[in-house]
Amino acid sequence: MTEHGGGGQLRVESVDMVYELPKGGSVQALKDVSFDLEQGRLLTLLGPSGCGKTTLLNILAGFLAPTGGQVTLGGSAITGPGQDRGMVFQQGALFEWLSVEKNISFGPRMKRADKSGTSARVEDLLKTVGLGGFGEKMVYELSGGMQQRVALARCLANDPAMILMDEPLGALDALTREKMQSLILELWSETGKTIVLVTHSVEEALFLGDILFVMAPRPGRIERTYELPFAKMGLEVEPRELKRSPEFVDKREEILSLIWDMEEQIMGHEGEA
Amino acid sequence: MTDQLQTASGASSEGMNSLLTNRRGWRPGGAGGDSRKTVTFGDSSAVRSSPAWTVVALIFMGILWWAATKAWGFPAEFAAANEGLRDVDLQAACDRDETCGRDSYSQFLSPRTFPSPRDTWTAMVELWNNGFANETLWAHTWASLRRVGLGMFWGVVIGVPVGFAMGLSSRLRGFFDAPVELFRPIPPLALLPLFILMFGIGDRPAVRLLFFAALWIMIIAARSGVRTANLSKVRAAYSLGASKWQVLTRVLLPNALPEIFTGLRVALGVCWGTLVAAELVGTRVGLGSMIFAARPFFRLDIMLAGVVIIALLGVLMDVIMRFLEARLIPWRGKG
Repeated sequence: MTEHGGGGQLRVESVDMVYELPKGGSVQALKDVSFDLEQGRLLTLLGPSGCGKTTLLNILAGFLAPTGGQVTLGGSAITGPGQDRGMVFQQGALFEWLSVEKNISFGPRMKRADKSGTSARVEDLLKTVGLGGFGEKMVYELSGGMQQRVALARCLANDPAMILMDEPLGALDALTREKMQSLILELWSETGKTIVLVTHSVEEALFLGDILFVMAPRPGRIERTYELPFAKMGLEVEPRELKRSPEFVDKREEILSLIWDMEEQIMGHEGEA
Repeated sequence: MTDQLQTASGASSEGMNSLLTNRRGWRPGGAGGDSRKTVTFGDSSAVRSSPAWTVVALIFMGILWWAATKAWGFPAEFAAANEGLRDVDLQAACDRDETCGRDSYSQFLSPRTFPSPRDTWTAMVELWNNGFANETLWAHTWASLRRVGLGMFWGVVIGVPVGFAMGLSSRLRGFFDAPVELFRPIPPLALLPLFILMFGIGDRPAVRLLFFAALWIMIIAARSGVRTANLSKVRAAYSLGASKWQVLTRVLLPNALPEIFTGLRVALGVCWGTLVAAELVGTRVGLGSMIFAARPFFRLDIMLAGVVIIALLGVLMDVIMRFLEARLIPWRGKG
């Protein structure tokens, strides 16, 4: 796969996001969030609900404009959705009136790309995500896991610099989820794309994250940053084995108790109010 | 669950089989699929129309019809006295018979005044062969279908864009809410006298009345079709590089098709139901006109045959619409 022209470093500079509530008052969904992410990293965002992780992802995607601060990718400011940033949603974002093939080729077709080149690319992508021979199927004929494979392929078809995933495996059963985690790691190492992935699962955040932000609510912020070895190890070591290794288990418990404390604090606050 | 496991592990042939059965809409545990179920009462998803009982109901209706014409039949001498009166109106028939009064309306449920199944069949054959009121049956049917088609056509051409506008813009939603909510509850027939004065008699007011009947239904169908669009789909399309126009035509429109199609079916039913009354406005040809043309001649058999034809065509149109729906929108309800 070719390197995207506009690819490069993601820079998030003191981003604020304040939601005005319809009944008056406001919620600080993000406060002074800053970080740099080099090309080719896999960042996972984890935190209790209300910590602003999905808000942050939507700002990176360009679906939301922050109330303060700036986000740039490869030097150019993000002001709206664009082909340089592919999205994978939890579910329901595939076009069920189109076949698997037409879903994957949607991006190139919107650009009126060369047809034969596109169809060759779609064939490649189908094989890459393990759906060889399924191109003619309609998406509603596929299981949830296969649908997410289509979503991955659809976003890769545009060859984006960065892929943003909003709880992409949240609706899958446990076993399918493990398989898909491995697929995401494979795609990441093969394509060298920058990936930002939001998840609720501590284990998933640890296993996939080459870098992990634990976020905290009220106001939404990055509480702690972890540089992790597991994503690279996961490409060679058997995932289940990795997940029961002492290092992994220690990290998992540490982060769980961190998030647990946050939840306790929130409960405490609500008790006072 | 097993399906997912199999397919995730590289699509075994069993996985493929379950995919194919899913496509035909068969679900494990559907009607007759799982007789080992112990909870059946309340399991409404397993309820299907039983064809055998539909046949029973049709036979039962036929027997009731036949029995009604027998039970309330005229005295034989009255029927004999009225032979040859077919083309005389009701008042004339009453004038000849002194028992004909308010208390003896039931007498008119005779084989002649309340046609038996056989009479109706004979009338249908007569219609088929000779037509009625100087027109063939096909001319009457075509005139009616054409009116409904035209009314529906304009209803869709104007209703769908307006519905989309209402689904896509708060201003346009606010603007169109007033007329839509005000006009929607008006029974089309209430406008009939007005339409006659405004547009005269004939085809024009009839088509406009049917347009009026279809318009609001199509607006509301298109509006709710737009509103069912999952935000993720729209956002995904923009992220894939689609323009606003492409989001409209490649995402919002196909996404709204199931709702629009439901609107079409409802509107077609309403238009077909309004048709007969719409043809009161002085049209010469048409199934409704045919029924009214039969009245002064006391041809209840023709009238009832017309009603039966209208009913059968209504059923046929719905069957066609369902067939088209299954062919054109196979993804319905599977998003």
